[in-house]
This record gives sequence, C-alpha cells and structure tokens, in this order.
Amino acid sequence: MKINVGVVFGGRSVENEISVITANQAMAGMDKEKYDITPIYITKSGKWYTGKALLDVSNYRDTKKLLAMCEEVYMRPIYGDTNLYRSNKGLFQKSVVTKLDVILPALHGTNCEDGTFQGVMEFSGIPYTGCNTLASANGMDKITMKMILKECGIPVIDYCWFSDKEWSDKQQSTIAAVEEKLGYPVIVKPANSGSSVGIRAAHNREEFIEAVDYAITFTSRVIIEKYVQKLKEVNCAVLGNYYECEPSVCEVPVRSGEILSYQDKYMNGGGKQSQGMQSTVREIPANLPQETTEFIQKAACDTFRALSCDGVARIDFIIDEATGEIFVNEINTIPGSLSFYLWEYSGYNFGTLVDKLIDIAFRRKQDASFKAVNYGENIFATKAAGGAKMGSKMGGKFGK
Amino acid sequence: MSLYTIATLFLCILTFAAAAVRDIHMFQLSSYRYSRYFRWLVPANIFAKNRIYAAVLCAAFLVAGKLQALFALVMFTIITIDIFKSRKKEKTPLVFTKRVNRLYTTAIILYTALAAAVAFLAAQHAGNVQVAAKHASLYPGIAAAALLIFSDFIVLAANFVNTPIEKAINRHYYNDAKKIIESNKGLVVIGVTGSFGKTSTKNYLAAILAEKYNVLVTPGNFNTLLGVIRTIREQLRPYHNVFIVEMGAKQKNDIKEICDLVHPTIGIVTAVGKMHLETFKSVENIQDTKFELINSLPANGIGIINTDSPYIKNFDRITSSCNIIKYGTDSDASLRATDIQYSASGVTFNLAGEQYSSRLLGAGNLLNILAAIAVADKLQVPVQKQKNAIARLQPVEHRLSMRNSGGVTVLDDAYNSNPQGAKIALETLKNFTVKEGCKRIIITPGFVEMGASQAEANRELGRNIARCADYAIVVNATNRDAIRSGIEEEHMPADKYFIADNLNHAHAHLATILKAGDVVLYENDLPDNFK
Repeated sequence: MKINVGVVFGGRSVENEISVITANQAMAGMDKEKYDITPIYITKSGKWYTGKALLDVSNYRDTKKLLAMCEEVYMRPIYGDTNLYRSNKGLFQKSVVTKLDVILPALHGTNCEDGTFQGVMEFSGIPYTGCNTLASANGMDKITMKMILKECGIPVIDYCWFSDKEWSDKQQSTIAAVEEKLGYPVIVKPANSGSSVGIRAAHNREEFIEAVDYAITFTSRVIIEKYVQKLKEVNCAVLGNYYECEPSVCEVPVRSGEILSYQDKYMNGGGKQSQGMQSTVREIPANLPQETTEFIQKAACDTFRALSCDGVARIDFIIDEATGEIFVNEINTIPGSLSFYLWEYSGYNFGTLVDKLIDIAFRRKQDASFKAVNYGENIFATKAAGGAKMGSKMGGKFGK
Repeated sequence: MSLYTIATLFLCILTFAAAAVRDIHMFQLSSYRYSRYFRWLVPANIFAKNRIYAAVLCAAFLVAGKLQALFALVMFTIITIDIFKSRKKEKTPLVFTKRVNRLYTTAIILYTALAAAVAFLAAQHAGNVQVAAKHASLYPGIAAAALLIFSDFIVLAANFVNTPIEKAINRHYYNDAKKIIESNKGLVVIGVTGSFGKTSTKNYLAAILAEKYNVLVTPGNFNTLLGVIRTIREQLRPYHNVFIVEMGAKQKNDIKEICDLVHPTIGIVTAVGKMHLETFKSVENIQDTKFELINSLPANGIGIINTDSPYIKNFDRITSSCNIIKYGTDSDASLRATDIQYSASGVTFNLAGEQYSSRLLGAGNLLNILAAIAVADKLQVPVQKQKNAIARLQPVEHRLSMRNSGGVTVLDDAYNSNPQGAKIALETLKNFTVKEGCKRIIITPGFVEMGASQAEANRELGRNIARCADYAIVVNATNRDAIRSGIEEEHMPADKYFIADNLNHAHAHLATILKAGDVVLYENDLPDNFK
C-alpha cells in the first residue's frame, strides 16, 4: 500500500510554467516504491486536470493538445473529503479518480503561494506540504514579511509602503514621505509578485513616479525599498517546521543587469532545456567568510521561525558591499525546484527531501489533532429554547 | 381472501415494522448476542408494551367484528406514536447500520410470509369448522395479529436466517483488514487491555508517542474485533508507524481474536477487576482473557503489566517468553513511582530520578501514565518530550474529567464505573477543598453487571460514600438497598442522602440543594436496556 500524493502545479500566476518544471522534477525524484503520484495541473484559467501526459515536459509546448489528453478534475472543500473527483463522469466510470493522502503544492506566485490554495486544503482537512495559510500569506507579501521580521529584530532594508489608491489621492505627500525616509535611489516593487515581475529601480523623482505607475498595474500594494547599489545576493534555504529547522548551504546566484531578472532566472542556462532555477548560473556553496555564512544561516532560521513556516523555504539575502550589512530581502515559501540543488550538499536528494516534506505535513496534521476544538454549544438549544435537557451522559447544565 | 383481510394484514405488517425497530434496537444493545438479549427479555420485558398492544389488538378483533380494520388502524397509530416517542428519549438510539438494514428487511419479509401463512391456515380452519360468515373473516386477522406478540422472536429468527450472509461479509472485511495491516511492514502494534483504564491509557500513550511517531488509535469504544477491522480498513494508512489497539472483552477468546489479526509486539494490561462477571463467571476467566494479549506477544515482544492490581500481581499463567515489565507504586514494580502527591490540580511524582507532573486526577490516572511511559521508553521517545506531553495531558471526557458549570465544579466520572475507579473518584472528591458552607456531592446508580458480587460491591460503595462525601443522591432501583445499607453502616445521617427514581428526579432534587462552590461527582451511568 503506497501513500497517495497529489502533486499540484501550474496555477493562475505568472510562474505557471516554472511550477511545471518544479513539479516534474519532484515527481521524477520521488520514491515510486513509497508513493502513488497523481499529477494535478491547474491551468492559467483555474481549471484542474490530471493525466499521465502531464509527466512529460515536452507536452507543455501545446497546452491545448496536452489538456485534450487529460481529464478535468476537482476536489471538494468539505472537511474530511480528500477525494479527487472527475468533473465529467462517463457512464461506467466512478466519480472518484483516487483518494489522496497528502498534497504537495508545487505552485509558485500569486493565487498559489500566498495562502489561497492552502486555505482550500485546510477546508478539506487534507495534509499538505509547505507553509500553512498564515505563513504563506505573510511570506508572499513583502510588506507584512518585513513588518514581522523587523518586529523580531531580524535585519531588513529600510522601506515604505502605500496602496494604489493612496498613490492616486495623495501622490505629493506620498512622494515626500518616501524621499524623506529613504531618499534615492530606491527600488519599487509590487508587494506580492513573484519572480521579479513589476520591479523597477528609481534614481530620481521622475523615474520613481514612472516605476510606481508601472508597479500599480500589477498590484494594489506597493513597497519602496532603499536601493543598495553595490550588493551581493546570497540565498539560503531552510527545511523543517515552526519549532525545529535546519539551514542549507548558501548560494550566490550570478546575474545579468542590475537586478536578477526573469530572464536570468529562467531563460538562461546555456542551451539546455529550460530547467528553472537550476540552470541559472550560480556559485554553490557560496564563497563567503565563515562568520558571514553562519550569520546568514542563523538569520534564515530565525526568519523561518518568525513567520511560522513549515516545509522548505528559500530566503534571499542582500549584502551591502559598501557597509558589510546583511539584510533579509525576501522569502519564497515554495522555492523553485524546491531548492533541491542546495540540499544536495546537506545530504538530501530530491527523494529524501520530499520524504521529509511529506513527513512534516503529516506531523503538522497530527499535532493539530491534539489541540482542543471547542465548537461551543448550540445557542438555539438553551433554556430559552424550552427547558434544560437533562440526562444524556449527565451533561446537563446547572444554574438558574 | 377478502379486501378486509388484505387490508388488515397490511396494517399488521406496518405494525410489525414499527415494533421491530424497538426489538432490533434492544438486540443491537445486546451486541447481537442471543444470551444477552434473553437476559434482558426474561423476566423484565416479557410484558413489554408492544406485546400488550398486540394482545389487545387480537382481543379487539374478536370483539369488534367488522370494525376490526378500524380498530387495527387506531391501535397501530397508538403503537407507532408511542414507539417513536420513546425513541426520542433514548440516549443511544438505534443506529441504522447496513447490518441493521439487512436484518430489518429479512424480519419484515419473514413476518409477511408467516402472517400470510397463518392467515391462510386460519381462513381454511374457519371454512372447515363452518363458522358463520361474519366471524370467518375475523380469523385471518386474529392470526396475523397474534403473531405480533412474538415480534422479537421473529427478529431473532431473521437474524438466524441472515447469519450466513453476515458471516461472509465479515470474512471479507477481516481478510481485507489483514491484507492492509500486513502490508505496513514497519508498523509497531501496541495492544491495550484491562478491566478498566484502557481508553485513558490508550489516549495518554498516543499523546506521548505523537511527539515522535505518526500514531493511529482505535477510536472511541471501537474495542471489538469488528471495531478494529473497521479502523484498519477506514483509517490505517502507510504513513502510520504506530497503531494502538484498545482490546475489550465480553467473553473468553475475544482478545485472542483481535491479537490474531493485528499481531501486537507490545501489550499493556492496565487492571483486572470483577467487571462483566455475569459473562465471565469467574475472576480466573477474566485474568486468562486479559492475559491473552500478553500470551500472544512474540519472544522479542514486551508485556507491560500493572502489579498494583492484585489479580495481575498474582497471575501465574503467562505462557509467552516475551519480556515483562511491571509498573505501579508497590515494591514489586520495576517501573515504580515514588514521592507521589495528589491534589485538586493534578499529580506529581518521581520516576527513575526524573520528576513528572500532570493535571490528571487520581491514582488510576497515575498508573495509566506509568504504563504509557513504559512504552515510550521502549520506543525511544526522549524523556523531555515525554514530560512535555504528560504535562499537557487532558482527561478523557467522562473519565474523572473536571469542568466548571455556573460556579459549580463538576467531576464527571460517568463512564462505565468499577469499584476501584469509584473509590479513587471518591478519594479525589474528598481531597477537594471547598469553601465554608459548600458541599461535596455524589450522584450515582451504583455498579451493574457484577453478578453475585454486585450487592457487596454496592455496599462498599455506600461505605465509601459516607466516608468521603457530604451529600449523596442514589439513582437506581436495583442497587439502592445495598448502597443504603453501606451508607448507614458508616453512620451518614439520613438527611444527607436521597434516593431518586430516575435521573430527571435526581436532577430536580439536586437543583434544590445546589449552591455555587459545591463540587458534584457523577459516578457511573447506564445504557438503555438496564433500568
């Protein structure tokens, strides 16, 4: 008897294709002796599909053709129902494709990594790997993430934030506040986009206004950060849960242009078929002084715990080469390729990494089952509703 | 047959359908065992309501003549309303399982066939003896109605008819469960049994082992073979690495049956007491049955037994060569708790140089914790994690659990009581410090299902009540005299105890004497078929 794992990928985000890669890497690396894998692909329009054709990356060049080879499915947000159902049941087909034990979300970006998907899983009560709703939401939003880390004494780059409506209504005072608090140059980011979409640097007011106007085409929440000119980027992943975690080795992703762009992350890689973060040219383990590595690893674990994370997350740091200060830049609660290329140095392969993620998911569910859930009484069935109910295992209420 | 006869027969069948619901309910409560059912039946329920109604129905046919159809309708309406009204008052209503549905269907078919047969024969008979025409048409109806008197025997016969089907279905479920459990190679199976303390020990053990393992426990009272089979088929998954199986027994071999399916490597016997003495007949039988768990352990297995329980301490018929660990508070135990302090906020104790504390109440819970620690040690749960889990343990509802209800502290020990547990509960009640003018109250029906020793056990209960409580309310017809004699032996004043007819009566009286700051202990509770 094998554990039934539903690997969910795709999604209504700009990183739909990236997650296809992450998921296929995971599915290829998982131990087939232990797990029965059901691939579940969420299209850009939000429909769910399953089928063997999803396991061949070359099929994704023509999504229409791919989906014709699959069947549409859905799950119900009913507590205790972990079945995967067919949307279009044939006459002699069962309505249930399979009963799943655990979900492995390999989804990146908005509508995926930000707690929305996790919330659906919480409704059905099925164990799932990675962060829960809370940690996902806080990790995805750059503003709340910085607020929490700052409160916990973890170093973050100075920032301001405002909404798109504020920008429209009070543009002058907003600009003044930013210029006073941060000064130029700054970086303008949508608070919740992934993979560097919508991000622009601004060296003066003109550029700033343009950058914000650009950013608010993607979002209603904008964050402005001080632009560290001479910087070094260092990433570190963390594996565990909110009370026990271990850091990976550090890596320095090598980049083109001023900031690591979408191009860098996914399109480069020297002629190989697109392999996501794996194919970005990088330095692993990072060639850093011992105390820098230790500082980063500790800060990564602190960040993981502060945000109440579970599973594996990749925390991206910025070292200001001018001052030597190290800051947490952002956290990816479902990192590309599950950052397995970092964990290889800690002795994990993709298979054992997934084993650990699934184990963490089951333990989280088990821990939650020991917490008392008090649904309270039916307030309609009180004395006012016609007489105290006596008997039934002597649970009657006293008091007049 | 005339239209009249057919209509009457039809109404009789409907009446049977309504009456059969109650008969099946009683049968279900008797765990579908004929002997238990007959013990309920004779003599108390021979004159059960539905039988009386059926007899009245027959008499009505004889008297009413052509009005028999109308009468049948009226009778049927009364019976149906009465049966459904009494269903609403029942604490554990009939559960319409698939088995019950099968039984119900067969019973109705059987009754219909029998009723048609006797009706036909009666009509023949009327024809043969050449009864007057107006009386002849009565005979089939009387015959069918008379059959209603024996509705429960028809239900039992239907069960007999269904037995091969049920056996085949159970066989299929058994084999399926066997396949599932054997496919999980690394699964550690732990059996927990005992006359009492099973469920609490099981739950405490699960909480401690969950610090390290993925644990599955048999839920609630699923401690029969069928319950275990159902747990395995519905809940056991490959990611579980520990399976804790609570094993209950009503007769010899019950536990061996479960062990043959799940193959435990660790077994806990929490206590042996004089429970269900009616079915077991002797304490030796109870001992042997509980120790079926230990005796089924393999040579590399571990048997964990409570030597504070005298019938365990003196048991000498262990046949397995497994390792035996004795736990308790007396000198015989290798896992021995010392420096024990009980209070209204829990218990603290010392074990092998480590200090433990828990919010659970009473000596019984202390022993249950020791059993759980024994297993956790063997399965290498770090000591600090064990302590953390133990400190967080909550009592199982209705097993000496405590709650506050409008300023009154309620000690809920309502689940299946036994003399040992009652004694501990009363000691706990005694330990409560109450404000000036407040009382320690106990409400209990005493012990049941204890066969010959029931009277003496209830007398002893009465004595303990007098020693520990300030006020007592006794709710029971059978036990009241025994309990009262014990209370009076220890000189509890007559105005400090009250005998109630049923629970509603008890609560009504309680309401008149209760004050904020009082402590009320609920000791023991009753299922439906013992009044």
